[in-house]
Amino acid sequence: MRSGRSVGLRTAHVRQLKLTSTVLKTGLTPSASGSAYFELDPGPSSSPPSASTIPSRSSLKLTCTVHGPKPLPRSAPFSPQLILSTNVKYAPFAARQRRGFIRDAREKDLSAHLESALRGVIIADRWPKSGVDVVVTVLEAEEDGWWADEFDLGQSTRRTNFGEWGMMTVLAGCITAASAALVEAGIDCVDLVSGGVAGLVRSKSGTSVVLDPCPSEHEDLVAGCVVGHLASRDELVEIWSRGDNEDQAITLVDHAVDAAIAARGVLASVVKETTALRFGVASTDSEDTAMT
Amino acid sequence: MMVAPGEVLGKASPLLAAGRGAYVNPHNQTIYASITGRRHVIHSPDNNNKRVVQVVGHKARGAVPEPGSIVIARVTKVMPRMASADIMCVGPKSVREKFTGTIRQQDVRATEIDKVDMHLSFRPGDIVRALVLSLGDARAYFLSTAKNELGVVSAESIAGATMVPISWTEMQCPLTGQIEKRKVAKAS
Repeated sequence: MRSGRSVGLRTAHVRQLKLTSTVLKTGLTPSASGSAYFELDPGPSSSPPSASTIPSRSSLKLTCTVHGPKPLPRSAPFSPQLILSTNVKYAPFAARQRRGFIRDAREKDLSAHLESALRGVIIADRWPKSGVDVVVTVLEAEEDGWWADEFDLGQSTRRTNFGEWGMMTVLAGCITAASAALVEAGIDCVDLVSGGVAGLVRSKSGTSVVLDPCPSEHEDLVAGCVVGHLASRDELVEIWSRGDNEDQAITLVDHAVDAAIAARGVLASVVKETTALRFGVASTDSEDTAMT
Repeated sequence: MMVAPGEVLGKASPLLAAGRGAYVNPHNQTIYASITGRRHVIHSPDNNNKRVVQVVGHKARGAVPEPGSIVIARVTKVMPRMASADIMCVGPKSVREKFTGTIRQQDVRATEIDKVDMHLSFRPGDIVRALVLSLGDARAYFLSTAKNELGVVSAESIAGATMVPISWTEMQCPLTGQIEKRKVAKAS
């Protein structure tokens, strides 16, 4: 149960290129048949240190557990295939805005997106009359923007689209973590699925595409796109795009795929390394687990 | 060799097939891994020239009954037209979760299937060896004991002793000598 770290790309303030480290661990919940912990740490901030104790940006931390395959409840109708159910829940303390204990519309939305992504990757007919539950708990969520923007403190001009950008990073993390947990649970999948995000950032000099956007660092995020990507088949199982992409939809998807491929490197090495440890063999292919 | 889902294991051909933990993509006739684990190439059990590539995962995945598999089940309820049983083992593997099976009246034995009396074939608590006929309905798998080697393998008498089979329809209690009716499995 070691973590793999790899280098992803995260551009801050449009031109500055920075690195994000991804942490992925599997097998943290002994009672679940598969589990994974995913963390996206943006590293040291590029913005000047402020007097405020509130961090200028956030990171992403989430856990995913997979329960099953187990027999369907008696009330369920007959199914010749594996029935997948997903549940994404933010911890009450996950973001600046406190969440209730009941799932709200955004969390249900994320669950639906995660389900559609995983549905395309599992081989459901290998497990007839069975069900599997994928439960994601978001411990720390990416903020939807810089906190001060909410109160119009930091800038003279209020941001026009203070939207739900943080959800996109959360979804990409959910997809990657769920893939690791499903593999840990031994559920047949056609491929590993990894999530990636790209965003379109507008600045005075025009628009540019960033991988893995950090909503609190970009002044004006106009569009975003999340993909669930199967690298060995070069297929997409999930696309979620929002905002005004200014006819750059294809570019946005291409960049989101690039981000997903970066995440897949971590995913594949962690999954194989963990399995090798279970077999009691020292991993031989750890050269792709770069440390940041 | 350690593989992860999506890794290529080989090209599907008349001489190479996908086994457990692998699948064939029909678009390019290529075999991919579907779980993580070690890659093994074994001889096909039915054709010596053919090879099967399979992936063995790190943990014994909980067995799931599928049509054609032989299961060991414990009878829980006997009704006039069928008996319910909890499946405990699929082949040599124990199941982790609870799967229920149903032995219908017509599936108890191969002959005179309309004259079967369920109460003279099974009792709650009996351990039976059965064949999985189908995935069944929403609740239970359909099981069959209509073969010589299928049926009750272990049963307790009313006195509480494990009974000894004396014919394919009878078992005897070693304590009281009482004979009880069962659909007895032929000892293998």
